[in-house]
Amino acid sequence: MDQDRRGQWLRGVLAPCVLALVAERESYGYELAQSLDAAGLGPIQGGTLYPVLLRLQRFGLVTASWQDGTAGPARKYYRITAAGRETLRHATADWQEFSAGVASILREGR
Amino acid sequence: MNHDGWLSALAHELRRRGVGGDAVRQVVAEAAAHLRDGGGNPMQVFGPPATYASAVADSVGRPRRNPGEVLLEARGITKKYGRQTVLDGVDLTVRSGEIAAVIGANGCGKSTFLAVCAGLTGVDKGEVRIRGSLGYCPQDGGTAGFLDAGEHFVLIGAGRGMSREEAVRAGHAQAAALDWEPARGKQARHLSGGTRQKLNLVMAGLGEPDVLLLDEPYQGFDRGTYLDFWHQVWQWREAGKAIVVVTHLLNQLDRVDTVLELTPARKAVA
Repeated sequence: MDQDRRGQWLRGVLAPCVLALVAERESYGYELAQSLDAAGLGPIQGGTLYPVLLRLQRFGLVTASWQDGTAGPARKYYRITAAGRETLRHATADWQEFSAGVASILREGR
Repeated sequence: MNHDGWLSALAHELRRRGVGGDAVRQVVAEAAAHLRDGGGNPMQVFGPPATYASAVADSVGRPRRNPGEVLLEARGITKKYGRQTVLDGVDLTVRSGEIAAVIGANGCGKSTFLAVCAGLTGVDKGEVRIRGSLGYCPQDGGTAGFLDAGEHFVLIGAGRGMSREEAVRAGHAQAAALDWEPARGKQARHLSGGTRQKLNLVMAGLGEPDVLLLDEPYQGFDRGTYLDFWHQVWQWREAGKAIVVVTHLLNQLDRVDTVLELTPARKAVA
């Protein structure tokens, strides 16, 4: 995929995607990056991911706690809040409507 | 750059941007854990420390804290020069642990207002009450051309009840925080404009005054020193001082507690 285009699209959808992943189960930054990559969004660098997590935390959509790893260093785990679930519900509905519109326009122009 | 070098540079850049101590520790620990898990060059994974620190500072926002007692209170300050009213009933209250920014176009009376607060300029109407001691950093002037920095520290320190050694030690420590090492014997008239402003700023803070009045003290500062200046201001806030800064640079306004906008001078209608 064209990297500039991927970057622009990611800017719009990274926060809701991260929110959806922590809604499934609490997780830490590196694991979230791997999940996003595995889902096909490509590698997300720390410099992109953590500011998104910090903003979600600042607006009360996730909470964070430090937990010791089974082996290795303590990690900062993120968990979704009630406000986060509410935001995710709206974002998901909005995205479905928006992406359906984009898909239909792109189909027309083919 | 190795991991440790990058992480310590990140901590430094975060502090420069006013990110609080606990947040700095957490952001650095999280980056360290990420690098241990995933490896890679931190310059590629996170980018240059300054760039990543800016993104983090924007994302975490400014911590809120409870303001303390009122240290500066200006009520109904009115000042006329001839028929021109420069300040018309200006009010400002600044509490312990607060930063007030004074903004407005050139010639709207920002420096006059600060000089009034410092007690250097009289008023036609109104009153300023200051609780505690006062430090003032003028926009220019304020230094003696034939004295070196150390002599300035001794002079100002004496006025604040500090011994010579104490004043010189405190002055040099504050200068170092602005990335400046004052040379012995170098007279103030031979310093660059930016360095003279560093001297002015250090003098304003000597003796830990309770209220600081800073009139665009960063003129001639490079970007790094400008960040060091704001770091210093945030530290003063942490220490419970009341700070008034004249500024026209809007991008720092989200980092202050109060904004006083002065409107341009009006001429009396004859």
